[in-house]
Amino acid sequence: MTTSGNENKTKPAKQPRKSFLKAKSPKDPKGAPRKPKPAKQGKSIFRVVFGVPEVSLVIIILIMGFILAKFGGTHTDFQTGRSVSNFLNTGSIFNLLENTSYFAIMAVGSCAVIVTAGIDLSVGSIDCLAGVVTAIVLQKMVGAHMTGSAEMVLVALAVCLGVGLLCGVLNGLATVILDVHPFVITLGTLWILRGLAFIVTRAQSIGMPQQVINFTQSSLGLHGGVQPIPVIVMIVISIFGWIYMAKTPAGRRIYAVGGNLEASRYSGIPVSKVLVGVYVLSGLTAGIAAFLSTSVYGAAASSDATGYELYVIAATVVGGTSLLGGRGSAIGAVLGALVIEMIRESISILHLDSNYQQIIVGLAIIVAVVIDRAGANMRQKQMVMEQAKAREGAATPAS
Amino acid sequence: MKTKFLAAALCAAILAVGCSSGSSSSGTGGSTAGSTASTSGKTFKIVMIAKSTSNPVFPVAEQGAKDAAKEESKRTGDNIVIDWETPADEDAQLQANYINQAVTSGANCILISCSDASKLTSAINHAVDSGVPVMCFDSDDAASKRFAYYGTNDTHQGTQIMDELGKYMKGTGTVAILAGNQNAPNLQARVKAVQAEAAAKFPNIKFVPVAYHVETPDDATKKVIEYMHAYPNITGWAMVGGWPLFAKGLLTTLDPKKVVVVAGDALPAELEYVDKGIAPALVAQPVYDWGYQSVKLIVQSQIEHKQIQAYNEMVNPIVTKGNLHDWAEKLKSWGMTGIDPKFLDPNYGKTK
Repeated sequence: MTTSGNENKTKPAKQPRKSFLKAKSPKDPKGAPRKPKPAKQGKSIFRVVFGVPEVSLVIIILIMGFILAKFGGTHTDFQTGRSVSNFLNTGSIFNLLENTSYFAIMAVGSCAVIVTAGIDLSVGSIDCLAGVVTAIVLQKMVGAHMTGSAEMVLVALAVCLGVGLLCGVLNGLATVILDVHPFVITLGTLWILRGLAFIVTRAQSIGMPQQVINFTQSSLGLHGGVQPIPVIVMIVISIFGWIYMAKTPAGRRIYAVGGNLEASRYSGIPVSKVLVGVYVLSGLTAGIAAFLSTSVYGAAASSDATGYELYVIAATVVGGTSLLGGRGSAIGAVLGALVIEMIRESISILHLDSNYQQIIVGLAIIVAVVIDRAGANMRQKQMVMEQAKAREGAATPAS
Repeated sequence: MKTKFLAAALCAAILAVGCSSGSSSSGTGGSTAGSTASTSGKTFKIVMIAKSTSNPVFPVAEQGAKDAAKEESKRTGDNIVIDWETPADEDAQLQANYINQAVTSGANCILISCSDASKLTSAINHAVDSGVPVMCFDSDDAASKRFAYYGTNDTHQGTQIMDELGKYMKGTGTVAILAGNQNAPNLQARVKAVQAEAAAKFPNIKFVPVAYHVETPDDATKKVIEYMHAYPNITGWAMVGGWPLFAKGLLTTLDPKKVVVVAGDALPAELEYVDKGIAPALVAQPVYDWGYQSVKLIVQSQIEHKQIQAYNEMVNPIVTKGNLHDWAEKLKSWGMTGIDPKFLDPNYGKTK
């Protein structure tokens, strides 16, 4: 077919591309897929980087860090006499990370639950119960003169994990066997476990032995009064959580169940086991958080971690986990916890009226989620456009 | 992308709104003198950490602290600022975080009412070891390295509450103790003192189990009503804090002919209970002085380097219908609002 000048005018963009592809990749079947030109490769690297969901959160964190560094003011360090930023100093940064670590660790477990479209409202109560039971056990050890440091630390960790595991199994089995929505089950266990903590402590605050406190408060040789162990544990848990959920078959099943429960069941995925498993994970992470917080702060009480479940769930959602299930990541949950903690600490660093803290934190959480959803929508649109272009390229007949 | 940065700008704007609503005594830009030995003309930042903003006694203490800061700034020539860092609800872990933040952001002194002393000792000691002195008010942590305490002698206040209650109950009846947060050592001390005084002076008075609750007026009111239904034979309430009397719920629920209440604290909302005879006596805590006197003591100790006592006991006046007018005038002088004008009438109590 002869081509007229009009046809040339209507399709100037595609013809050079087709001829380029044919010349460059003669072996490609039917001229698809296309390889982008060098200029497009730069653009796709941009897309690759910003296509990662967690990048939005990192951007938010960096912006907030800039604001805090710029407007947080300075003080004179009493040891060195130098002017030091109120935010950008080792102590402040480590404080921020340490304060984040307890919520972040629980958020990793919470992420697994929420990815299955479930929810665990009892994490604060699990944290509390694990802490008080551990403190009581350690006090008994002190009474029995079993005061070796390593012994006490291992027992403390084992008891915290054990209580977390049991509570997680309870939540998981109740959800599966009773076939009741996890919101209801974990709301009930929130009260039950908190009540148990109240009874076993008889309303008293129970101190932790110094051997265990020394372990978690250890500076590991770092200066500035920092306590890096909670931060290290947070990093390790987040990496393991990410690898488990994103890279292992067991982890991928969590996403499958959250994405489509019935399809997963028909595919042969043991849905009940997966569901029990995620609540066990949530319980275990609450147990780890309990071990760290009770030993860092030096005591356990039945009022500990009250309301923390809301912070944990907020951190998970801010981190990009969908309450509808099927989407989320452990790294995102940890970054979400960091965002929330930065928002909370910014109130004091920026000398805002702390009477407004709840309003500011609530508004800022909404903004952070909007930013993240905007990023997710952009990625979704880009993916759809690329798929459409790929289909167009495949459908365009060879001239 | 545009949406993301627009939302980030919106986030910054929200923070800016918070800035403009910030209290005037929070200072500007956060620059402070980091050393405890503040010289004339420099800023001296006191970070004040109360138990919770939801308990109305603590904002009064905040006001007292700020008033004292203004007075002392004029007197000494230093710029003494109060940085109010208090959780919305009681949370000792959060208080510990605030202590650590105060240290890393250059506070010159920390003033704290401890929700749970056992959880705060480590943080207080770390602050002191880092060169930031700590003083306690209202709820002490005597095991820590704090340099001073100002507040009620809780044992004495508990004794006073039971003395007044036993007098009005004529030494007989059934008493319930309303005790707030079960982990607060100051409240526990008051409870024990109530029980000990009853055992010593009023052996015919019996007790039902101690009633613990979240320290908000609504939760405290609900707890009292719950107990009145569960234990209909209660004829007296020993309230170691005035929480339910900050609300009006019990004005119509408690019959002064059947139940006598003696409570700690005497804030404006509680005066109606005295007037109606429901609470014939209140063992007042001049909560304004928690902040006012504490800041005065901090200035004496940390700026002027004078010797002060480690334990500074607050006097607890007994407020009855006879001195209700005088007490109302005092509350007004502290800047409190919500005082019924009838109590400010100089002829109050004289007409009958």
